[in-house]
Order: sequence, then structure tokens, then C-alpha cells
Amino acid sequence: MSEAQGEVFDLGYRHYEGPREGRMRARKAIWINGVRTALGIGRGWSSKALPILLFIAVITPAVVISIAAATAGDLVDFPRHDAYYQIISTLLVIFSAIIAPELLCPDRRDGVISLYLVRPLSPTDYVIGRWLAFLSVTLALVYLGQVVLFTGFVLAAEEPVNYLRDNWLDVPRFLLAGLVVAIFTTTIPLTVSAFTTRRAYAAAFVIGLFIISIPVAGILSICEEDHGRQRNEFGQEPEPCRPPTGESAKWFALINLSDVPIHVNDLIFPEENTSEFAQLVAELPSIVPVAWYLLLTIGPGFVLWWRYRRISI
Amino acid sequence: MPPLLEARELTKRYGATIALESVDFQINEGITGLLGPNGAGKSTTIKLFLGLIGPTSGSAEVLGERPYESVESRTRLGYMPEHDCLPASVTAAEFLTHMAQVSGIPPAHARTRAADILRHVGLDEERYRSIGEYSTGMKQRVKLAQALVHDPLLVLLDEPTAGLDPGGREEMLALVRRTGREFGISILLSSHLMGDVESICDRIIVLEGGRVTEEGDVSLFTQETQTLYIDVDDHLEELVAALSKRSIAATVDGLSVVVETENDEQYDAIRDAIVESDARLRRLAPRRHGLTDIFRRAPNE
Repeated sequence: MSEAQGEVFDLGYRHYEGPREGRMRARKAIWINGVRTALGIGRGWSSKALPILLFIAVITPAVVISIAAATAGDLVDFPRHDAYYQIISTLLVIFSAIIAPELLCPDRRDGVISLYLVRPLSPTDYVIGRWLAFLSVTLALVYLGQVVLFTGFVLAAEEPVNYLRDNWLDVPRFLLAGLVVAIFTTTIPLTVSAFTTRRAYAAAFVIGLFIISIPVAGILSICEEDHGRQRNEFGQEPEPCRPPTGESAKWFALINLSDVPIHVNDLIFPEENTSEFAQLVAELPSIVPVAWYLLLTIGPGFVLWWRYRRISI
Repeated sequence: MPPLLEARELTKRYGATIALESVDFQINEGITGLLGPNGAGKSTTIKLFLGLIGPTSGSAEVLGERPYESVESRTRLGYMPEHDCLPASVTAAEFLTHMAQVSGIPPAHARTRAADILRHVGLDEERYRSIGEYSTGMKQRVKLAQALVHDPLLVLLDEPTAGLDPGGREEMLALVRRTGREFGISILLSSHLMGDVESICDRIIVLEGGRVTEEGDVSLFTQETQTLYIDVDDHLEELVAALSKRSIAATVDGLSVVVETENDEQYDAIRDAIVESDARLRRLAPRRHGLTDIFRRAPNE
């Protein structure tokens, strides 16, 4: 019986003769790489841990509400789709502030950007690819929670089919509202990240900006509680509480950054938002919160694009 | 087929500063060295051909297209920068696969190309390690690999031996030589190191003050001169005297006797003078021009 024989040949360098898909493939590669980077795919466990933890944190409220609704068997008292984005808005800001810089800062710090821009890719292609990548991740995050919530409500309902028939409009509403939220929480953190190579600086700045905006808006637009204020000696009611900025308070309520997309969502969902900021903004014409949202989205988006148009390597 | 690279009346100004002025040259197949001191305009030339900046006037064309106006024309170009450009946290295989895709190669082909090219640069065994764990020499190989992963027609190398120790430098030069000779990929090598350029380039273009001052085959710049070096172990003065007796002027330079030859017949007389002086001959050779001579000449020469 003869033994099997093998021989190794060095074929040397072989030229590539397969397909070349040019700029479209390059754009797609930037987008896919951005999604993988945001989720830590293809990297060590330390890179995956944070996105996973933040994903769990953002999904948890939907899971808890769904389980509670299923247990109670009555859906009336539970937060619904309109309230979900408000519940997770702080978590979403933290998620975006920490993860978004991963998509831009290391490319400039490590110099990889100089390799991208000598390929069939313009600075605009690059920055749009990264923006779309993070928008995709954020959309997945916000939609996943809403889908869990919707599924939970359907299963918790006494008549799931009737629930679907009566509430199907919630689906396009939360899809549109989710897009509004995701675009906002994608654009501002990425714009901040375009100005530093240090991820921690970008994350701290974004979180600080959103956190500071809440008390600033509160001080300027919401009056102090009048608990304990008594009728006066003549038995008259105390003066109604007035915010420090008077009639302008409803404008100052817009300063709260994390609520900017929520005010637009309040126009999408029919339910009334009972939060104090929302009540104040509701006094303004509907176009105002929409215009404010567009300004705070298109403005930073333009700055992001302009910053990369001028990048030198 | 148009030239791989062509500069026509290429001028680039930054405000009042002229980086390149009315430069004309063509680069075809082979390995071309772009030589010049710091500030000569080498980096500006590379940026213009990569389309990263636009010319003030004139044109920089890649295969007949202008990369500043059409990013698609960069599909067949590769670029290895001098500075750091590698992410630390990903593996070389992952990084190269991604860069191949950014160059327009579909994912399945990109993976194969990445594996092939990492084998060619000698990183086959190390390809699943994070780049951050690599030595400087290995990082330079990854930088070269990313420039080659999409099989370009021409690759622009900016100081490829920067930061390497002598051993690493020799290995990198051998790799660049293989890329040009065996892989058949044309190269434009920008360097201020004459030795690098002299050892691997077929042609050179010399830039000084934003202008092309010399251009041609490397052999033109490394021709033999009429200066003959006679290295001996002893009897230097006797040798000079013996040469003088034969009407040959000679000077002493260390352990060498230097003679300016006028014709080939003088070699017989030199041989006789060495025999007469009883000096022990170590070497007898004409001096060759080196690329360093280009920069030693007077500016208007």
C-alpha cells in the first residue's frame, strides 16, 4: 500500500481579479464597521461589556412593564408607548454619550482616518457612514424596547386580537417617535466627538451638557412647590405660584435637552404628557418644539459634516 | 494606456508659500524614488496625487483621472503613510479585511486577500493577534499590507523605513523590492534616505524648493568617476613617489592614494608603481557617484 504524498507549492503573489465594487462598497464597509465598533463585535470582551450592559439597562424597563402588565392583567395603569421614551431618555443619553465617541475618536487618534480618505471614499461618505451606523444601533435599541412592550401588552390583554385591532396605530407611532429620538441622540454626541480624540472627554461633555440643561430649565421655568403655604390672616387663597421667568417660562422649558425629542413625540402620540416641562411646552404653538428639534439636530449635523470637510491628514 | 501618475505644470501654494511650482513629470512602471530634503514638496506631491488636496494650478493625474475630482480614481492606488495609522485593539486579519472592503472588494474576497497579503509580508502566524501587541517592524509590515491588500497598480510609500533598526530596515527594503519586482506593483517611494532610494529604485525624481531639479534612471546618478582609489596597507609615500615618477599626480586620503585618471593607459603605469613601491595592495577601484552628490552640488550647477 502506498503512502499518501503531499507537496506544498508556493504560488507566489497572485493579482486580484475578482469584482471591485468601488465607492458603494466602501460606504457600506464604513457603516458595517461602525455598527460592529459600537457593539464591540470583533474586539475583546472589555469592548463588548459596556454596550451589552447599557443595552440591558435600556431594555429592562420594557421587560419589567410587560411582566407587571401580564401579572396584573390590567393595562390601564401602566406606562404606554408614549411614555417609554421619556422613561429611558436618561439611559439613552448615557448610552449615546459613551458609545458614540467610539466611532469617531479612535480613527483620528490612531490615524486610521488617513487610510480611509485615500481610498474611494470622501470625508462626507465617511461621516455619513459613521452617523448611519450609530443611528442603526440606537434605532435597534429604542425599537427593541418598544417591541418588547407591545408584545407584552398583546400577551397581557384579555383579548389579544382585539388589543391588536384597537391599538395597531401604536406601531407606526412608536416607529416614527423612535426615529425622532434616535436621530437626536445620535447627532449631538457624534458632533461633540468630532472635536476631540479622547472618548472620555466627549462622553463627559455630552452627559454634562444634558444633565446641566435639566436644572437650568427647571430653575427658569418651573415655580417652587407651594406646599405648606397657608391662607393668609384674612382667609384668602395664597398667590398662585409663578415661575421666575413669568410668561416666558414655557420657552425656557425647551432648554431641557433630553426632553427636546420628547416634545416632538408628544405631537405624535395622542396621550397627554403630564410632566411639568411637557405641560409648559404644550402651551407653545406646535411648530415651536418641532423647529427647536430640527435646529438642534440639523445644526450639529451640519457642524459635524463641516468639521470633516475641513479635516487635514 | 496613460501614465500611472502624471504631473503637468503642477503648482501648489499655501498663501504666500509655494510648496510646488510648475512641476512636470510622469511615473510609469517600476520603482521610482521621490527624493528631497525636508520642505522640498514631497508630502505635498503625494497628497496631490492621493486627491487629499487640490492643485492651485496645473494637474495631478492618476491613470488619466484627477483624484481630487473623482474619489473612484483612488481604487487602484495604495498608500503607506509615515505616521502611525493602525488601530491597536483589532487583529491584523480583521483590520486588513476591513481595509480591503473600504477599497471596494466584496467581503468574501476581502478575507482571502487579507490572509494572502499578510502571508506575503511575513505575518501569517501573527495575524490573529491585536496590532497593539506588535513590534515596530511588524506594524510597518501591516502598514505596507494595508496599502497592498486591494492589489493596487501603484503604491505610494512615505518613508517606509522610518523608525526601524538596521535589521528591520533591511527587511523592509527587501519587502519593498519584492513588491516592485515580484508582485509587479509599481512604487513611488518618498524618502530623504539616499541609501534606501539607491538600493531599490530604478528611477528618481529629485525635488528641491518645490521644483524638480533632477530626474532619470538611478544608474545615471551612480556612474563611475575618473577618480581612482588605491587602498594599501603600507608604503604610502613610496607609492606616491613612484606615481609621481610616472607623471601621475596623487594625493593621500587616510590609507588610500587618490589618483585622477585621464585615460585607461595610465592603469599599466599605476600597476608598475605599486609593484615598485612594494606596497601591499588591498583595493583598487574607481569611485562611484552617490545620490548624496546631488545635494552637494552648488544650487546653480
